[in-house]
Amino acid sequence: MKTIEEINQKITNGDAVVVTADEMTSIVSQKGAKKASEEIDVVTTGTFGAMCSSGAFLNFGHSDPPIKMSKTFLNGVEAYSGLAAVDAYLGATQPSQNPEIGLDYGGSHVIEDLIRGKEVELIAEAYGTDCYPLKMVETPITLDKINQATMFNPRNCYQNYAVATNSTPETLYTYMGTLLPNSGNVTYSSAGALSPLLNDPYFQTIGVGTRIFLCGTEGYIVSEGTQHSTEVERRNGIPVGSAGTLMLQGDMKKMDPDFVRGATMPKYGPTLYVGAGIPIPILNEDIATRTAISDEQIICKIIDYGIPRRSRPVITETNYKELKSGKIEINGIEVPTSPLSSYKRAKMVAEELKEWIENGEFLLTNPVKSLPSRGCTVNPLETNKPAVLVRDIESKSIIMTHSDDKINDVARKLVDNNINHLPVVDNNGQLKGIVTSWDIADAVARDKSKLVDVMTRKVIIAREDESVDIIARRIDKHNISGLPIVDKENRVKGMITAEDISRLIGGNLKNENGGDSI
Amino acid sequence: MKAWLRFLPSIINKAIISDAIKIYEIDFNILRAYITPRGGKMLVEINGPQENESIQYMEEQGIQVTPIMRVVTKDLEKCMDCGACVSVCPVNAICIKEDWMVEIDNQNCIGCGFCINSCPTKSIDFME
Repeated sequence: MKTIEEINQKITNGDAVVVTADEMTSIVSQKGAKKASEEIDVVTTGTFGAMCSSGAFLNFGHSDPPIKMSKTFLNGVEAYSGLAAVDAYLGATQPSQNPEIGLDYGGSHVIEDLIRGKEVELIAEAYGTDCYPLKMVETPITLDKINQATMFNPRNCYQNYAVATNSTPETLYTYMGTLLPNSGNVTYSSAGALSPLLNDPYFQTIGVGTRIFLCGTEGYIVSEGTQHSTEVERRNGIPVGSAGTLMLQGDMKKMDPDFVRGATMPKYGPTLYVGAGIPIPILNEDIATRTAISDEQIICKIIDYGIPRRSRPVITETNYKELKSGKIEINGIEVPTSPLSSYKRAKMVAEELKEWIENGEFLLTNPVKSLPSRGCTVNPLETNKPAVLVRDIESKSIIMTHSDDKINDVARKLVDNNINHLPVVDNNGQLKGIVTSWDIADAVARDKSKLVDVMTRKVIIAREDESVDIIARRIDKHNISGLPIVDKENRVKGMITAEDISRLIGGNLKNENGGDSI
Repeated sequence: MKAWLRFLPSIINKAIISDAIKIYEIDFNILRAYITPRGGKMLVEINGPQENESIQYMEEQGIQVTPIMRVVTKDLEKCMDCGACVSVCPVNAICIKEDWMVEIDNQNCIGCGFCINSCPTKSIDFME
C-alpha cells in the first residue's frame, strides 16, 4: 500500500518509477501484480481521438466604445455568446457559416489555429445598450491577446466505444468515418489498453479535480462527463461499450498543437482530436492489476451503422488485439479495420506525461470527489410526437407495371392514375425496377418501345418499418422524388413520394391549427 | 512504371494504345480514366522490356506521358496517423507500421482516391 503523498515525495526526489500502460501490461505478466505494485509508482495512459463534445470558453476583452456581443463569429464559425458581454463558447463541431466552406472548416479548426498562434478574424454583432453602445466589431485576434481561452470539453475520453460497420449497399459517411457498403470495412476509435478510463475501470483513482495531460499542458477533470454511464455490461471488469466519460478543462494558451487537431469527418462535420492522458497512481495490487489490462481482454461490439436508429443492431463481438491487427472476420469474411484515433499519438501522450513525472514537473493529485461508479444510466429523449413510419402513410391502391409491358401502356397507366412513378415487378410481384414519366418521354424521344430499355434497375427503396424522416433524407440524398415500398421478400407494397411527405407535413400543420389549412 | 497519359479530342478515335501494346509487347493496365468530349486523362501502369520505346511511340502519336513515382502524396505535417484511410483502400496499399505510422505503398496504389476523401485532416492528395 502506498499513498499519493508518498508517490509525490518520490516524484519530487526524482525516484518515482513511471511506466506507460502498455509497458505495465508486460511488467505485470512477467512479475505478477503484487511485485509490480511494489516497484511501479505511476502508470501513464493516453488517447488521441476525435472528441466531438469539446470546445472553448473565450473572453475577448472590452472594445472602446464597449459592445455586448450577441452573435460572434471566428473565421466565419459561430460561437455562442448568450453569456456576459464579451464571453463566448466555441463548439468544436460548429461548421463555417460560409456555405462554400461548410464542413471543411469549423470550431475545431479555429481552436487549432488559435493554439498555433494564428490570427483569427472576430466579427461580433450586438443590439446596443446604454452601457454597451457599439453594435458591430470586426477585428483580428490572437490567443495571446485575448484574456482567457479555456478549453472546456463536456464529454471526452469515453470508456470503450462501439466499433462501426455498415451492412447497407451504399457508402455511409458517419462520425465513425467512411463506412464502405456491405460491411466492407470496420472502424473503431478507442486506444484500447492505453486508454485512460480502461485502466481504472471502477474510478478508484481518477476523480473530480484530478490533474491530467490535456493537449500538451496540464488540465483538470471537472467532473464525470455528459452521458456518463455505469450500469453497463462488463467483461474482465471492463465495459464492453461506451460507459464512463470525463468533463475536462485546460488553458488553451499553454497547449501544444502536436497534441490537438481540428479535423473533419468527411460529409459528417468538424470534430476536435484531443490528446488526453491520465496518470494512475499504483496504490495497491488491485490497481496494478487493472492497469495491466491487455488489448485482448478489452471486448467491444461491432454495431451496424447502416440502421439509422437510436439502438443499432450488434453484428458481433471483437477485441482490440484483433482490431489493431488490421483485419477481423465478420461472418467468415475478412474485413479491414481502421482506427480513427491515432495510436501513435496516444503513445506520445503517455510517453510525454511519463517524462513530465520522471522530471518532477508534474505531481499527482488526490481526487476532490470520486466519480460516480454506480447508478448512472443514459436516458433517451422521448419525443411527444412519435416517429411516423412508412406504413402509417395513407395507403393508396398499388399501381405497378410488368417489365414486358409496352411503353404505350405504361404511359397510359401514368396518365390515368395521375402519377409520375411506377414500380416494375415480375410475376411474383418482386421489384425489378422503376420507371418515371421522364423515362417514358425519353423512350419516345429515342424511339424505344420496350420498358426494359428505359427503366432504372438499381432502385432506391423504402421499407414499411422505416421512419418517414429517414425516407425524406434518402429522397434528398439521392435527388429522387419517389421510392417503392417493399417487404422483406422484395415484394412491392406501394410507393412513397416527396408529395406524400409534403402532404404529411401539411396535414400536421392543419391539425395544429384547428382544422384550417395554411 | 506508372504514368499519367493526357490526350486531346483530336486523337480520341485512334487506337494508339492498342497499337503500342501490339508493337512493343507491353503490359498495359488502366488504373483510372477520365474521358470527356474535351479530351482525356488516364493513370496507367506500363511494364515490359520495351516500355520506354512504347512511351516514345505514344508521345509521337500525340499523347502526353508523365511518368510518376508516386500516385498520391501524404503531407506529414497534417497527417496525425489516425488510420481512417487504411480500411477504405481497395487494394490494401495503406498500412499501419510497427511504430504505428500510417504508410501508403505507391507501388500498389491504383489512384482511386478513397483515402483522399476519407482523411479527416485532408493530408492526402494526388501527385500531379
